[in-house]
Amino acid sequence: MEEDEFFGEKTFQHYCAEFIKHSQKIGDGWEWRASKDCSDGYMCKTHFQVKNGTAMSHQGTSAHVQTFLPVEEAVDPPLDDFEVTETTTAAEVIKYEYHVLYSCSYQVPVLYFRASFLDGRPLALKDIWEGVHECYKMRLLQGPWDTITQQEHPILGQPFFVLHPCKTSEFLIPVLKNSRKINRNVNYITSWLSMVGPAVGLNLPLSYATAASQEEGNVSGQGKKRSLHSTFPVAEILGLFCIWLCPPCWTQHFLSLLSPLTGH
Amino acid sequence: MTDDKDVLRDVWFGRIPTCFTLYQDEITEREAEPYYLLLPRVSYLTLVTDKVKKHFQKVMRQEDISEIWFEYEGTPLKWHYPIGLLFDLLASSSALPWNITVHFKSFPEKDLLHCPSKDVIEAHFMSCVKEADALKHKSQVINEMQKKDHKQLWMGLQNDRFDQFWAINRKLMEYPAEENGFRYIPFRIYQTTTERPFIQKLFRPVSTDGQLHTLGDLLKEVCPSAVAPEEMWFTWVMPKSDVLMFYLSYC
Repeated sequence: MEEDEFFGEKTFQHYCAEFIKHSQKIGDGWEWRASKDCSDGYMCKTHFQVKNGTAMSHQGTSAHVQTFLPVEEAVDPPLDDFEVTETTTAAEVIKYEYHVLYSCSYQVPVLYFRASFLDGRPLALKDIWEGVHECYKMRLLQGPWDTITQQEHPILGQPFFVLHPCKTSEFLIPVLKNSRKINRNVNYITSWLSMVGPAVGLNLPLSYATAASQEEGNVSGQGKKRSLHSTFPVAEILGLFCIWLCPPCWTQHFLSLLSPLTGH
Repeated sequence: MTDDKDVLRDVWFGRIPTCFTLYQDEITEREAEPYYLLLPRVSYLTLVTDKVKKHFQKVMRQEDISEIWFEYEGTPLKWHYPIGLLFDLLASSSALPWNITVHFKSFPEKDLLHCPSKDVIEAHFMSCVKEADALKHKSQVINEMQKKDHKQLWMGLQNDRFDQFWAINRKLMEYPAEENGFRYIPFRIYQTTTERPFIQKLFRPVSTDGQLHTLGDLLKEVCPSAVAPEEMWFTWVMPKSDVLMFYLSYC
């Protein structure tokens, strides 16, 4: 099966592996899960969050606040960096699971997620909406059935919420095109996840952006050294900033405006 | 395509005689009689069971009713699978009628998608059609259609109108004369023996040396474990009405 698009399945798996390498370095909790027959798999992360929590900031994460609380059942990574402000009842702690799968039909990554209370009760779509940042609500509310829907996870067979993939290539192709023109490494997964993740409560520490440009064994096959200036991932960093500030639909526009800056 | 019209009609008008029985632990004000219905193979459970719902709700109190869901021999039935697929996968070796149990409580959140309205079914159906066209035509045909054409596809399915449906679907089943077929075949293979809900991979209808691929070629490539034809497997093509077309074209 040839991969005649930007983003075949092998490329997807390569970028996920690189992404996970960095995640392991910074303890961000992403891991790869292979399907039972090992023919494919997905990337996943679990985190815990207090619903309607108090504001708390953590160095290196986004300007938008998320409250993490070390709970007894917390899974990796260990949350030693966080202060314990107060304890809370189990019912208010929400477990979020994020899965990144590959869609061979659309040849793009797809973000699946679900949320539940610690006692196993799942969150409904309307509860998920409440957790979506104001910045994204307006755009997402225009057509919820087109953007976030409940679907069957193609490997696990269980209900998950999904960010619809058919619009992904609209905003991702300009990023890839620009990066290929200037022959610079871009981790497609980092770029994509930094754009879609925040809309559903998933943030990426900035260090992912710098890691993407420094990785070796790049897809284009070029191994030469580059000066620090040319590896500075302007597009990714500004891309990450504009995610925090603008709805995703503005991001593509913003990134295309950046192309003179990235020097292609 | 016109030669196969009979086949297309047979697929479309396929029916499964079904007996719906209320779950014994549901609270009723009086005895609930079973309800019999012929279910269309190509449709979805929650789209065609309004009468079933009304029938049982007549003997229940409002406060005992929440979202309806269906189960066969302990297995919750995924409403988002075509009815024919559910039957073939779970009950084809049992005697007719197909006995389905109806529930109004304890919705199995971990197994079933919610279906709060007909809009959800429409969205799911259209997303299947769009995904199939992404494989067949890089989404060109479905995207060039107007909203009213999309609506006509859905209304055709909802109202059991073969001609209305196929007036639009035929465009999705065409390919340019210079090509030998679609870009990729939209198919999914469902098996009861696997944990994975289905197998779906990219598969071209024509090999690199110009030979038309057969169903056997596809199975060998994507599902090699199903070596002997007697093994329990079922092939379902998206959208559902393509199934027999697929068999006839490629076997």
